[in-house]
Formats: sequence, structure tokens, C-alpha cells
Amino acid sequence: MITLENVLFKWHAKQPEPTINITKLDIDQGEHVFLHGPSGCGKSTLLSLLAGVTVPTQGNIELLGKAINQLSNSKRDRFRADHIGYIFQNFNLLPYLSPIENVTLGCQFSKQRQKNALKNSATIAAEASRLLSALGLNDNLQHQAVAQLSIGQQQRVAAARAFIGSPEIIIADEPTSALDTQNRQAFVKLLFEQASAANSTLIFVSHDETLQTLFTRSISLVELQGGTDATH
Amino acid sequence: MLLIKLATKSLLNRKASALLTLFTIAISVMLLMSIERVRVDAKSSFSNTISGTDLIVGARTGDIQLLLSSVFRIGHANNGVSWKSYQYITEQRGVKWAIPMSLGDSHKGLAVLGTNKDYFEHYRFAKKQSLSFSQGHEFNHLFEVVLGAEVASSLGYQLGDEVVIAHGMGNTSFHNHDDNPFKVVGILNPTGTPVDKTLHIPLAAIEAIHGGHAHQHEAVQADANDHDHDHDHDHDHDHDHDHDQHDDVDLIGTPKQITAFLLGFDSPLYTLQVRRNINQYKDEALLAIMPGVTLRELWEMLSIVEKILLLFSIVVVLISLLGMLTSLLSSLNQRRRELAILRSVGARPWHIFTLISVESLLITGLGCIVGIALFYALMLLGADYLQSHAGISLNIALLSSYELMLLAAIMVAGFIVGLIPATRAYFYSLADGMSIKI
Repeated sequence: MITLENVLFKWHAKQPEPTINITKLDIDQGEHVFLHGPSGCGKSTLLSLLAGVTVPTQGNIELLGKAINQLSNSKRDRFRADHIGYIFQNFNLLPYLSPIENVTLGCQFSKQRQKNALKNSATIAAEASRLLSALGLNDNLQHQAVAQLSIGQQQRVAAARAFIGSPEIIIADEPTSALDTQNRQAFVKLLFEQASAANSTLIFVSHDETLQTLFTRSISLVELQGGTDATH
Repeated sequence: MLLIKLATKSLLNRKASALLTLFTIAISVMLLMSIERVRVDAKSSFSNTISGTDLIVGARTGDIQLLLSSVFRIGHANNGVSWKSYQYITEQRGVKWAIPMSLGDSHKGLAVLGTNKDYFEHYRFAKKQSLSFSQGHEFNHLFEVVLGAEVASSLGYQLGDEVVIAHGMGNTSFHNHDDNPFKVVGILNPTGTPVDKTLHIPLAAIEAIHGGHAHQHEAVQADANDHDHDHDHDHDHDHDHDHDQHDDVDLIGTPKQITAFLLGFDSPLYTLQVRRNINQYKDEALLAIMPGVTLRELWEMLSIVEKILLLFSIVVVLISLLGMLTSLLSSLNQRRRELAILRSVGARPWHIFTLISVESLLITGLGCIVGIALFYALMLLGADYLQSHAGISLNIALLSSYELMLLAAIMVAGFIVGLIPATRAYFYSLADGMSIKI
């Protein structure tokens, strides 16, 4: 359901070595994948490609059976809004919205995800509240100012925003780097629960290899990159 | 809906700068609206001041000066019209009525006009409306006074009160004629013209209050008396006053000269002919003006000032919109992160574009609403002052279609100005994608 074939990506045409050079990558629906690698190995670029923010210089990227590198900009935007939930390293919550409003924002630009959200709850706000509770954020915290929440609590809001409307793909870009070790494992388990409940594919990026054992599949980007690296 | 909510919350998050921008626009809207309202009302006040009068005659001076001194009570007529000339001219063929006007005295800073009873019958303002009494009646005796509406209301005078007339203009006269109190016998309905601020007394009383002058005129009185004015009804002797100079109470008297007079003709056809005769009158340098024409000239003269005022207020509105542009553009850099977040949750570039446009519309719209509120507050506060100091009666009514058009123009201008940061945000969001730079 995620397929990369001969994907080459360069930021500039004159760049000697491509930033991304992946011959083949397949990820199945519902898989929980741990993607790791040192800084600068192209993780962020790969995520941009997977989210359809950037398009490969060469090669094909198929998401849910659609070659997204062939879609127009606006169609890629729509595809992303409908099918991809993104959790950022630094959460990126809007400070002037409450946790509930931040979460509902996740499905307000997509009819598809609104429809999905309404399958679980009567209103999207109720669905946001349900997700926040499931991720361990109490009712009384759900209407507070985002800035008053702890880092762990903010991360739960960011996760709920990615999960609302059950997108098929959840991309988490180093979401635990701001958490301490104990909270990291607990947070990852919460992500698993939600991803399994929605049958979403979870692509979890981290350089913290202690989390690797929790995942069914682990991909080293360094090994994935280029023919030579993979043979090592 | 979502974008309006987001724009509102985002603006509230930046209250200080948003409010400042809003108030800049509000103040500029207030300024523009006030200037326009005063301008329009001044114009109608001006042109409503006098009507139905065919000619105003005074000593030779500028047309506008004569109009200002005789009708608006602004400035002084240096010379007057001799009573002889007045009598000669008013006997010409076609003259239907004549209102002599003797100005120059005051009561607490308000003009005192010595005139005859024709004034109440023939003076017209606005659309040929005649003067009417809210209380009492016209003067029938020498020491009686008819008050303009505002004189009565601002000084709190009622029928039967006694009023002292001072010689000369201004609040502090050299000598008050305490011994010559006038009895209030009538109060006029408001007209929105300088009539409201005038005390009307019989022409003869003007001389009576200047005791010394009256004696000098006694000689003249003898030969003037045979012209006896038939519109004067009979007058009882007014024994309330122990002055001796007017044993035979006559409301006109025999003044040496008057400030000006108004003429009405049987037919407007006489107007040009008589005007020419007056302007070429050999015995005295006189000037006759047609009030309608001179009012228009006066207004045209003022219209330069008026246009400059309008120009300034438009510039002020533009500056305030540029202020909005500056604050939106400078906030945009800080908000790239916010916009990128919106993009990451699925907002498309045109959503971002709309969001910023909605923001500028909200600021402009609220600015207009607050500006209108300030405008009405200013009008309510300033109406009395303008009425009493400039004779402009402000019309504190709902917004006219012209004013609504001005507001619409400001909204459109605000929208257009808002397109600049919106376009910029659009391209930011295309370039940034989801990568959050700040």
C-alpha cells in the first residue's frame, strides 16, 4: 500500500549525490514501521516525499494505489488532507486554539476524514474528546489553553490530531524526542493502540533505537539508501 | 466559517497590534464620515438660510461680505444705507415688501436685529418656509422683543421675561442699557438658520436704546414722519418706559441709517431691473445682491476648502489601510509557522489566502463599525457647538446612501489592501509546504 520504486531525489539538479536513492520499499496496510538512521541521512526528506509535500526527481511513489508523484499540487494537497495524519517532532499546535479545537482541525479540511470521524462519535468535537481521552488527556485539560499543557500532554494532542478521521497513513517524525524514556514507551504504545484501532499504517521515525524492539518491522534508512549501502 | 473562526481567534491572539490597527482605521473612518457629514450639512444649512428674498441691499461692499453681514451676522457692515435711500427704493414700482435690518447691537453675544413686522410675514428660509411662533406673537410695542428659538432655549428665557440689550457686539459691552429692559413677547420656532440666534426688536427701539443718538434724530424725525408707514398698526403709548424721545410710539421710527434691507417684488421680473438701478444709484454707493446667486458663489469659494478637507480625510483612510498592510505583512513572517501548521493539517494554499483576506476584512469591517460609533459620539458632542458657533445644524440621522457608499469604498479598499499579504502568504505556503521554518 506504500510502494517506492527507484526513487531518486535531489534538492538541486547539480547536486552530485542524491539525497534519497531508494530502489524498492514496500509497506503494507496496518504495518507499524520503525524508520531509523543518524541525522542527515535524509529522514526528513523521505517523510516529505511520503507525505507528498515534495515529489521525487525520478521514480514512483504509490500511496494507497495512487502514484502521488503524478498528481497535481492541489490534488496532492487534497490526498494528504484525506489520507495522511502527521505528528511533528515539536507538535505544532496552534496556541490560540484549545486542545479540542486543535484536534478537530485535523479533519476540518477533509470531508472524507470528517465522515470517518462521525462514524465513531456524534460530532467531531466529541470524537476529538474521545481520542484525547483514549490518549490519556483528561476531560478537564481538553479545554485549557494549549500553552498550559505539559510537553507530554501537548504531544497527546498532536497525536489525536493526526488520528482523527482515521487516515490510512500516520507519519510520526521523531514525536518522542521531547519525552523522557519512560514516557516514550508509554506514548508509543498509545500510538499502536490507536493505529490498530483504525487499521492505519504507522511510520515512526526516530534515531532512538531503544524503541525499535516495540515495532514489528524496522527499516534502517542508511541500509535502504543506494545499492552499496544496502549490501553492507 | 472555519476560516472566519480561525481568523478571529488568530487575531485575538494578536490583540494588541490588531486593536491598534483597528483603532487607526476606526479613527480614520470617523474623521472621513464627520468631515463628509459636516460638509453636506453645512451646504444645506447655507443654502437654507434665506429664500424668497429677491434682493439684499446694503452699502457698497463685496457681494459675499454683504451676504455674510446681513444674513449670517458674520463680520460688520462698515457702512449702512441711509433711511432716505431706503424709502426711495422701497417706493419703486414692483416692490411688494421691504424688511429693514439694523444690526450691530448684541445681547450676551447674540445678535440683535432691529426690523419691522414685515420680517415675520415675509422672511423665508429653507424651501420658502416662513417664520412661525412657538409661543407668543410679534412685537407690538417699542420695548418688546421676539427671540429666536436658540436664544430662548440657551439663555432660558420665557415669555414675559425682561431682557437687557447692550450696545455693540460681544459679551462685554461698555455699557449696558439697564434702564431699557425689553419684554419677551414672542419666541420663534427653530429654523436651523442664524434667525435662531437673533433677538428681534422694533427698528425704532434700536435708536431708543442709544439714547443720545435718538435725540439727534428728532429733527430728522419730523420730515420722515410724513412717510408714515401704513403697515404700522396703531400703537398705544408705552408708559412703562420713562424715555421721552418717542412720545408717539412708532415701531419704525426715523433712523438715520440701517445696515441693510431685504426686498421682495411682485414679480421676479423686476429683480434685475431694480438691481441695476440700485447699483447705479447716484446719491449713495449701494449694492444689491440676489441671495441665491451669492450663496452659490460663497459655497463655491468654500468648496475649495471642502475639497481639501475631503482629500485629507481620504488620505487619512489610505494611511490607516497602509498601517493595516504593514502590520499584516510584518505579522506574516512570525506566522509562517502557524500557516505551515494549517497546511500540514490539510489547508490548501487558497485556504491560507482566504484566511489572510478574511483577517483584513475583519479588521476593516470592525474598524468601520467602531468608526461609525465614534462618529455618532462626535456628532452628538459637537452638534451644539457647531450650531452655536458655525450655524451649521447637524443632522444626526441614520447613515445616508452616500455615507454607506463611502463605507463600502473603505471596505473594498481594505479588501484590496488585504490581498497583498494574502498573496504573499499564498506563496509562502506553497514554498514552505509543511516544513516549519521558525
